[in-house]
Amino acid sequence: MPAEKMGKLTDRTRLIFAVSSVVFLAVLAISPFKDFRREWKQYNRSYLRFAQGRDTKKLLADYRPDIGQIWLPGMNVVDRCTTCHQGITQASLADKSVPQPFRAHPPIPHNVRDWGCTVCHRGQGPATEVAEAHESTLAWEQPILPTRFIQASCGTCHYADLPQTPQLTHGRQLLGELNCQGCHRLPGIDRPAMLGPDLTNIGTKVSREWIYKWLKEPRTILDKDGNVTVIGYETKEEPRMPKFRLTETELRGLSAYLSVQKAKAVVPYKIDARIVAAWSKNPELISQGELRFRQMFCTTCHSLAVTRAGETKLIGGEIGPELTKVGSKVNADWLIAWLRNPQGYLPHTRMPRYGWSDEDLYQVAQYITTKLTDSDLLTGVPQLGQPTEEEIQLGRRIFLEKGCASCHSIDGLNPQKDFGPDLSALGGKNASELEFGAAKIPHNLVAYIQAKLQDPTSVNLAARMPQYNWNQPDLDAVTTALLSMKGPPATSALQNLVVPSKEVAFHPTGSFGEVYERYKCYTCHKFNGYGGDLAPDLSYEGSRAQRQWLVDFLRNPQTLRPTLILRMPQFNMSDKDAATLADYMTMVLQHPLANPGSVDAKQFTPAMATLGKQLYEVKYQCQSCHTIGGTGGYVGPNLNNAGGWLTPAWIEAWLRNPQALNPLTIEPRRNFTEDEVRALTAYLVTLRQSIKPQKTASTTATHAAAQGAGR
Amino acid sequence: MRLHVSIAVFLWMTSVAVSGCRKPAETPKADPLLVAYDTEADWTDAQHVISLSYQQAQGKRIFYQHCVWCHADATPAGPSNRSNLTPVPPLLNDGATLNAESDEYVQNIITLGGTAMGKSAMMPPYGRMLSAEEIRSVMAFTRAIAQPPYQPPARAASQYSVK
Repeated sequence: MPAEKMGKLTDRTRLIFAVSSVVFLAVLAISPFKDFRREWKQYNRSYLRFAQGRDTKKLLADYRPDIGQIWLPGMNVVDRCTTCHQGITQASLADKSVPQPFRAHPPIPHNVRDWGCTVCHRGQGPATEVAEAHESTLAWEQPILPTRFIQASCGTCHYADLPQTPQLTHGRQLLGELNCQGCHRLPGIDRPAMLGPDLTNIGTKVSREWIYKWLKEPRTILDKDGNVTVIGYETKEEPRMPKFRLTETELRGLSAYLSVQKAKAVVPYKIDARIVAAWSKNPELISQGELRFRQMFCTTCHSLAVTRAGETKLIGGEIGPELTKVGSKVNADWLIAWLRNPQGYLPHTRMPRYGWSDEDLYQVAQYITTKLTDSDLLTGVPQLGQPTEEEIQLGRRIFLEKGCASCHSIDGLNPQKDFGPDLSALGGKNASELEFGAAKIPHNLVAYIQAKLQDPTSVNLAARMPQYNWNQPDLDAVTTALLSMKGPPATSALQNLVVPSKEVAFHPTGSFGEVYERYKCYTCHKFNGYGGDLAPDLSYEGSRAQRQWLVDFLRNPQTLRPTLILRMPQFNMSDKDAATLADYMTMVLQHPLANPGSVDAKQFTPAMATLGKQLYEVKYQCQSCHTIGGTGGYVGPNLNNAGGWLTPAWIEAWLRNPQALNPLTIEPRRNFTEDEVRALTAYLVTLRQSIKPQKTASTTATHAAAQGAGR
Repeated sequence: MRLHVSIAVFLWMTSVAVSGCRKPAETPKADPLLVAYDTEADWTDAQHVISLSYQQAQGKRIFYQHCVWCHADATPAGPSNRSNLTPVPPLLNDGATLNAESDEYVQNIITLGGTAMGKSAMMPPYGRMLSAEEIRSVMAFTRAIAQPPYQPPARAASQYSVK
């Protein structure tokens, strides 16, 4: 072989060899280069540079240039978040000026090292890239939970309400209040005895036209001119009935079907003819009725539209329905029968049974039917006439198709159960498990829940769910509550972390139980953890109040707190009922730390009282919050009649530690000496003022606070 | 020689190509309200919503339970007790008064009460009622809503810091 040829060949071979070696080298070089350029390594290096610029010793000592991992096998946690979030437990990096991802976690009751990150924040723990960890990608489905809804994660284990999570608690309350549990299964949201009213006799209460209007648009609230207008969910006083998207035919059918529900006719109550004769021509009749309406404090539970300085507002409670236009809604005979005995019409209603005199009943009913009216209430409702048999049959079918029997009962119809899907594991669903329809929203769980709540048809044209109108905070709160429902815990270790909510009920028996049920005391008051929170907790009322004071108060309730506009209604309670309640409370509702028999008021000397007065006024300046004789603060109850109201044992125990008697009280716990406690008690028991029986109208507005002076 | 150039060019191009594949690490968009645990509307300007961290949100809760009655002009119950008191307690967002006070001072006056700090006895001590952590959170809430805004004292420069 000639040398030239050999050289040529060798050159070509060499070239091929060289090129392939270079390619091979390049490929080899890429991999360490890629490795060097990994996202988490970049963050590691920039953390190191950042740490060198600060108090280096501790930060540098704790620095680990590797993949960091929190591994909690029992909880299914493999979290590599600390690979980039290096400063997560560094107290010195809590400041807002520290750039992310290096900032320390804000202080919370759980330690990051014990809990990991994804338990609360979701996202993909094992991922080591920003997008994969935080967002949903093809392979990873669980995006990070926006911090706005982070309280949902607290609720996944804490079934009991936490004071630290107001948004979650509010959301759970809304789910209950809006009767979501009527159609859906929602863990922890109790199904009350009555979701919507029983409609067995609805035809005796309202007209077919009213039913039509109500079904068409239940959300009628007041605009600024005081007119009832149809707008969204803007006040808290809106009805719980959501809006169903009903066609004209459906509205006619349903209103026909409901208007013939008259299983039990109203028996008109004959008001004493002498009272009617005496009052019917009296020009004072209506104003007297209004006065009694106010005196009985119906507005503690019901609201009325009141116009002051050109602004119309609903004033009053939220327990019962708004009554501004109820006179145009209900049948007059029905109203009187209802007022006399609400449970006769709706066995489960929370409306107490008042003791009415015929005179009061006549005046108040006249006031309601003539003053609380609106001639325009049914404007826009067509003349519907007598319901035909076809309409009634159609209405019955729609009633069942729309799931009305989930919340309302009618004799002869089976209640509907689980009409909507079970939501007990909604919060843990992946996007692929959800139906987005044609909705142009991000494909993730949060967006889905919000879209469905705002407009159920946006994600499913055939949705049966009715229309709710939300304001943003309520929408977020309900979303949070739904996100918290992730179904049963995945592992036994998580199961052990569940903090269950306590179920309590207080339904005493005997003569007290009967009176307690009649006046529905638990609607506003709490007894041993059960009941409403509008009014004071009465669990220890027997230790707190003197028996005679209880009797007087029940007969003639007074406002004890200067700023309250709501007050216990006047039930026109008989002496016997008042005595029954007072006796039971005095005997049973006691606190172990305040035994009324243990402190004898006779031991207090005038000298002690004088010292107590000085401590009250000068050293501790209790008048900054409490009123005595018209001067003092608005925060605590007035003490005008402390001596006639409170037992000395309660005062002493309260001064020693108010939170021991009522954990929620805001009375600051002081460091009184025993002598000071006794002196203050001696002073307080000297404060007396009689509760005058209510004879005239003028006493309602001027409460004890204005009348003055303890001795 | 040409071989060397081509190898160098090849390597350079590969590195460009590889670095082009990698997206630069993105920092998530920071919408302060989206990542807030809770929010509070500025007392002087309802349009301005202040985002609160977990700790500040706990302070807000405690404030609206215990402090609002005397340190705000509107309370959940309606009228405020503030006008009944002399000396008038500062509003909680009163930065002109409170920004000048150190954290230690604020913590002490809540814990020990007005008398202990030479102020009005109308300010009760909360040390037996609220934990130190709760009191710190109230202070964090105060600082968050202060108008004019609160500026924390500058961090002392580290002796190790390299310039």
